[in-house]
Formats: sequence, structure tokens, C-alpha cells
Amino acid sequence: MSAVGTILKENLWTNNPIFMQVLGICSALAVTNLLTNTMVMTIGVTFVTAMSSLTVSLIRQFVPRKVRMIVQTLIIAFYVIIVDILLKAYAPDISRQLGPYVGLIITNCIIMGRLEAFAQSNPPLLSTWDGMTAGFGYMAVLLVIAFVRELLGFGSLFGVRIMPSGFVPWTIMVTAPSAFFLLGIIIWVGKTIMNREGAPA
Amino acid sequence: MNRQGLIYTIVFTFVVSFVFVLLLAVADQQTQARVLQNQTIARQRAILSALSLPAESVEEVQEQYAAVEQLAVEDEILYRVETGRGALVAKEFAGAGLWGTISGVIGVTEGLDRVTGIEIIDQNETPGLGARIDEEWFKRQLAGERIREGTIRVGGTGDGDYDYENGKIDAITGATRTSESMQKIIKAEIDQLEQLIGGGS
Repeated sequence: MSAVGTILKENLWTNNPIFMQVLGICSALAVTNLLTNTMVMTIGVTFVTAMSSLTVSLIRQFVPRKVRMIVQTLIIAFYVIIVDILLKAYAPDISRQLGPYVGLIITNCIIMGRLEAFAQSNPPLLSTWDGMTAGFGYMAVLLVIAFVRELLGFGSLFGVRIMPSGFVPWTIMVTAPSAFFLLGIIIWVGKTIMNREGAPA
Repeated sequence: MNRQGLIYTIVFTFVVSFVFVLLLAVADQQTQARVLQNQTIARQRAILSALSLPAESVEEVQEQYAAVEQLAVEDEILYRVETGRGALVAKEFAGAGLWGTISGVIGVTEGLDRVTGIEIIDQNETPGLGARIDEEWFKRQLAGERIREGTIRVGGTGDGDYDYENGKIDAITGATRTSESMQKIIKAEIDQLEQLIGGGS
């Protein structure tokens, strides 16, 4: 398989940032009770991961080793603030709902993880692809969690009411603990399937 | 040149920081007017909504808001508007919620016999529980509610109390503390409005 395909498979499945590396968990708990917010948040993370991977890869030969991580943090913060500014200017309602979580993308370990593990030592285009697919891996898992939480917690999907009017919303699905349970179940299912796949080899 | 040397490291860090911060400053400058306008519109829309004059688009908000006059009474600003149903007065409020400050706008008839509406501008209550004070069903309970004994009681639970004569609205299930806070805030605001309107005329 080509490098491009390998990276895609790694980031989406065999080395998925959420259920294999268990990174970026705080945001997985915090923003997943509504699909719309989750979508915007994960698009933001994907954009930041891809762009900071590109930038770090472009300047990788010029960065002194001593200040490597400071420069990475600076670059991540730069893109996060750009996302925040754009949301404030062009999507004020979503910006208001996400509140402090956009700023907290800076602390998402997935981004720095990809910069350290990949962008640092690979060419720009491949690094961008790696960052983007890591974002997709994160997005996929969060959307599954958000789908269950919004459906059972609010009876709706993307804000559109789905459940019949007699449906009693599960309050726990709206609060953070439910994301813990769901994440645990996803990790369990994911690893079980993976072990089965790996068994014959 | 030695890329690991002290001078290079300092110069590099400085240049990188300078470039990124400059770009951010430019992006901020470019969107500032838009962000400010968004905030103004959001505030005006909240005031109109509390005065039961709903306006959706930016043009509608600007058109409707033109009829609202600002009065400075003591240290507070009141927003007054003449309608077919008599004069209405709105005031911005801020009060303690469970986790943080709840701020918004409350509107009353000038004779203080009814609340015309309430709009939440900012709150940090528990998502899915206390944060539901920002949901339509909760706010709609207050739109036209009669003020009894100088207050509106928030109590009991249910899907909304739309009897606008009983001076009472439903609390939010599972968010007793936030509901209590809302009752306190509404009471305090009505008391203050009574003084301001009484003292002003």
C-alpha cells in the first residue's frame, strides 16, 4: 500500500488517536452532546492539525532542537486563534455555544502528537495528509458518541427532533459521564474487532 | 551557520513569534468591525426579544430597534418602547447562577403588571440541565406572565407552565439550583425596576 493509504488506515483505524492512543479525551467528553457543535469542533481540530503539520514540516529544517516544542505550541496556538476569530466573525451563534472549547483545541494532545511523531521528520504534503487524517479519526469517533448522546439525551439529531413525543430524554446522556461510558464501549468494540483481525496473522 | 547555537536560537524564536503574532494582529484587525457588529446585533436582538418584539434578520433588528429609546435612570440604562399594548421597559441583568453569572435582558410592562419576556445573553449552567434556561420552552413561559406579589415563582416541574395569569412558571427538572437562581434574579430585577420606573416618573 502506498504511504498515503497507509497513513489513512493508521489514523482512522489501527492507530486511531482516540481509541488506540487515547488522546484528546477531554474534548471528546465536553463537546459531544450535540452533533452540530461536535461537527464544528472536529472540523476545527482537523483544520488546526492539518495546517500546523504543514507549517511544522515546512520549517522543520530551520528549527533549533532546543525550542522545537515552543515553536510547535506557537504554531498550534496561531491556527486555533485564527479559527476562533473566524467563528466569532462569521458564525457568532456557534462561537457562543462552543464557548471556551475552541480555545482549548490548543491543548489537544493529538495535534502536538502528530507534529512530534510525524510532521517533524516528513515532507510537507505527506504531513498535511497525516494531520488531516488524524483529525478525521478523531472526528469519526466523536460523531459516533455525539450521535448516541444527542439522540438519547435530547431526542434529536443535528437539532431536528427524531424521537416520538412520548420519548423521555436520558438526562445522563447530556452530561459528561455518559461520554465516558460510550467511549469505553467504543474502545472495547474497536479493540475486540482489531484483535480478531490480527489473530490469524 | 550553527543552527543549534544560542544566537541563532534566539533570533529564530524572535522572528517566528513576530511573524505569527503579526499575522494574528492583521486577522483580528480585519474582522474587528464584523465581530463588534455581531455583538451589537445580538444585544439588540435580546432586548427586542425581551420586549416581545421578535426580530430575526439583521435588517429587522435594526428597523425594530430604532423605536427603542434608551433612558439613563440612576446608574442603570432602561430600554423603553411604546407599543399598541402600552409602554414596555427592558433592562439588562446579571445574577449568580449555579456555576457562574447568568446575564441577560428582562422586559416588563411599564405598569409592572406583566413580564413581557426574558432573554439569556450569557450563562455557564450545566449543559442539558441548568443551561436549558436558554431554551425556547423555558423562556416562552415568561412571555406575558402576570407578576403576582411583586415576583414570579419558579417551581414544580413539567413541560412548561403556559398559564400566564398564575404568576408561576415551571422549574427545570434536575436543575433545582439554577431554577432557584432564576427566581431570585427575576425577583431582584422586578424590585429594582419598580424603584427605577417609580422614581423616574
